[in-house]
Amino acid sequence: MVNQRLVTAIARKEIRGLTSEKTIILAILLQLFIALFSSFLMVGLSAMYDPSVYGRITGIQYGVGFVGNDTILFDLFSRDPSFMPYRMDPGVALGALKERQLAAVVWPSEDPPDGEDPVIVTLYTISNDIQSTVIEVKIKDILLEYEEILRDIRKDRLDFRPVSVTPSRPVAQNSFYEFIYGLLIPMLLFMPAIISAGLVIDLITEEYQEQTLDTLRTTPATLEDIVCGKILACILIIPVQVALWLVLLTINGIQIASLVEILLHVVLASTALILIAATIAVYYRDRTKAQFIFSTAVIIVLLLILAFPSNPINLIVLLAVGVAPLYHWAVMAASLAGSAILVVIVKNMIRRVEYS
Amino acid sequence: MEALSQLLTIAIWEIRRFQGTMTRDLLPVAIVLLVLLVGVSGFTAQKGIHLQDGIYRVGVDSQIYLDIIGGDPRYVVYSLPSDVTNIRSLGLDLAIRAGSLLRSNGEKGAAAQKSFERDYQAYQDYIYRQQTDLFAAYPVWIDSEYIVSELDFLATQSGQQVAAPRTASPTPPEPEKIETDIIPPSGIIPADMEQLRLQLEEEAARGADQLGRYTDLLSQQEALGELRVPSMLSPPLPFDTIIFIFVFIFPLYFTSQFFMMSIMNERTLRQGEALIASPVRPVILVLGKMLPYAIGMILIVVAILFTVKADVLAILPLIPVILFFLSFALFIGMVARSYKELSFISIFFSTIATSYLFFPSIFANVHIVSLLSPVTLVVHVIDGTGYTLTDYIYSTTLFYLTSLILFGVCIRNFHEEQLFTEKGLLDALALYLGALISNRYWYLSLILISMMTIPFVFMAQMMYLVLFFNLPMPYSLILIMVLAAMTEELVKAAGFVGLISHRYPPLTWKIVILASLLIGFGFLLGEKLLLFVTISQIADSIFGAALFMSLGLLWVPFLLHSGTVFCTGAVVKIWGKNAFPIGITLATVVHTLYNLYILRGWVW
Repeated sequence: MVNQRLVTAIARKEIRGLTSEKTIILAILLQLFIALFSSFLMVGLSAMYDPSVYGRITGIQYGVGFVGNDTILFDLFSRDPSFMPYRMDPGVALGALKERQLAAVVWPSEDPPDGEDPVIVTLYTISNDIQSTVIEVKIKDILLEYEEILRDIRKDRLDFRPVSVTPSRPVAQNSFYEFIYGLLIPMLLFMPAIISAGLVIDLITEEYQEQTLDTLRTTPATLEDIVCGKILACILIIPVQVALWLVLLTINGIQIASLVEILLHVVLASTALILIAATIAVYYRDRTKAQFIFSTAVIIVLLLILAFPSNPINLIVLLAVGVAPLYHWAVMAASLAGSAILVVIVKNMIRRVEYS
Repeated sequence: MEALSQLLTIAIWEIRRFQGTMTRDLLPVAIVLLVLLVGVSGFTAQKGIHLQDGIYRVGVDSQIYLDIIGGDPRYVVYSLPSDVTNIRSLGLDLAIRAGSLLRSNGEKGAAAQKSFERDYQAYQDYIYRQQTDLFAAYPVWIDSEYIVSELDFLATQSGQQVAAPRTASPTPPEPEKIETDIIPPSGIIPADMEQLRLQLEEEAARGADQLGRYTDLLSQQEALGELRVPSMLSPPLPFDTIIFIFVFIFPLYFTSQFFMMSIMNERTLRQGEALIASPVRPVILVLGKMLPYAIGMILIVVAILFTVKADVLAILPLIPVILFFLSFALFIGMVARSYKELSFISIFFSTIATSYLFFPSIFANVHIVSLLSPVTLVVHVIDGTGYTLTDYIYSTTLFYLTSLILFGVCIRNFHEEQLFTEKGLLDALALYLGALISNRYWYLSLILISMMTIPFVFMAQMMYLVLFFNLPMPYSLILIMVLAAMTEELVKAAGFVGLISHRYPPLTWKIVILASLLIGFGFLLGEKLLLFVTISQIADSIFGAALFMSLGLLWVPFLLHSGTVFCTGAVVKIWGKNAFPIGITLATVVHTLYNLYILRGWVW
């Protein structure tokens, strides 16, 4: 069996190596960068697509040129405080738009509200412009209202109507809830797992390729002890990083329910990944090959896991929002069993390699 | 001629070596994994991604509401007791009772309602699409026309209107030039009802299918042609562009990893010693080893373009990207001390490079900033817009320059002393810089070093511009300014690092002053040259002014650059080379204060 003292000694050596080479700092920086990246996507883009995120923008009033004589649509525009519609000639309106004195020009066709044909609204905006995007989002609301009015006028011609559900109170703005809990948290928590799994490959193949393994084998440590020590080092740094994330998220006001359960799930799932990586590394003994096979394998495993309901990643989301079903303990037990099987596989692989 | 045959020999060796790694124990496994990958992606695409299943709880008092939310796995549906007042007490986020939607207080309830509203919209559209009289269900159709209005970054200063006025006047504006040739909207529907219905269905299917939206993306046609209904009037999701990045950049990244490992392997156990001792020049060695990978990457890109049936022209913007990845692979392969360091530095680099490529291109079709990324040009080729030579120069020059400079530095250092050192990343970098300094013409070397850093500085500053462009005005400007000053001071210190690492000439006060002047001069020269070639559009805007403080008289920026780098040099002269961070901080502060003074009119 493995010698516990030797395994911990090797694990300690690897962790020391990580800190002295400052690679662990790079790893954390990397994760921070990814978090920054996500927050950029979140705040920047949603501000672009949903201007109401910036409360202050509501004070702005955009001039809109109105061509043609549809009164309902004109009234809808003048009722909205964000717009100031002007009745204009087509040439003047488009000229003003081109000189950016207007935000948009609206030109509805002459079809009557209760006619056979639909009303076609031509909407002119400035191309390649962020402001146009914002304006289009705002105009969309008005056009939806207009659509609703016309639909009501033509309602007798409908075969059947949808079940009506009216919200008792409106939701003010876009919420990041689903993005934070449903995507960001699982991604941030599994980053350390992927990093550690890549790390264990580097640690094992390095001993072979730098030919330092022979020196190491002159000590009482067996190959099994050495590999187990490296696996242990990689597993140990996971809870540290995950806990760091959980603390950072909590400081940012993102409340996460069931911290302990989440930590356990992540550590177990990561252990499985690390064991897979270690098996591949011991088999190939070459970094290029092992990393190539492992990265393909990880994509396959992740895709496969995500295809099933109640997978560990889904459960972490549910745990974080505090609605996890009790059977998540069963899934955790399954992860544990899976890891145990993987331990046996790694050991067999080591034995096969050692005596071949 | 001899050089060429040497190059080919090295390239052929490299291919043989690579074949050696694709051994009998790897190839079958790789093929099996590839087959599995295709199978699993298909399986997952069919089953859907179960990530947010059961996140919301909703209570309903009638089965009819299941039509709306039945298919959405995010909801767990409960039947609602008839006498409920507080839905929170039941642990519900939403409740639908007699056609009215209630939600619990707090973020989660709001998010649940938002998701429900999206589902409801999809349900409504589904019902309306079934109507015999489609034009009663969809009485309004929108035809979007885009007007081209030329605008560049200079607009703010020259007094041109950049955006429609923020408070509209009560009287209509009067343009200077009235448009003459206008075609009024005909009011005639260009397609018949059934065709439009089909298009609506296609659009809806694309919105519902998570993975399908991405797989269609590359060959997608505008499903509805010109006409859309109001609920579909939303700008295309920019997240889609990330798919382009993954499709093109990831294969390139993986291939460059093989090159990186090949360089690293020459260094482990000094295996490459024989190669370096041979009479072949380092430049031939490096290029020869690189050639197979470069060709491989180009073939991969061509294959991808061929599969998505895109114009082969799209390969041109990707060539500098390939060079960029290869040059960084060479550098990382040369400096990493161990495999784990190699992994981390390369992941770190690739994340930053990917985001540099990604950030700007999400604005494709929206903004000039998007052209900073060559991937935007690829997007333009694929969607049929194409690009001009100016666009190409504008978005690829920095990539070409940085890769060429990095190749130059690495090739110059591709010999025993540097390759087999066990120094850390920063020390190795100092060693490399030291090797660039010539004994006799050290002053010329200093000018060259600071000129060389310019493309890297520009890249970093472009990144800041894109990253912080969205923040509200004074903050974005100040943040960009401080970061820009810091980056400039950091790279200007490179000259001093090189001098100290080279140990000649000795760092006397006279040398410190002289070196500061030379570095300042080189920096300014490089900046002016590059600005001239590429980015005058951005450089002259208010953001550009914050980034590249070089408007106005030339001697002012010259004194600034020399003065701030002198701060660094002086601190290092007094306290030794461990004081570099202090020196750079001091220089940054001075630089920022100067920038603030120049820009005071904009900031407050």
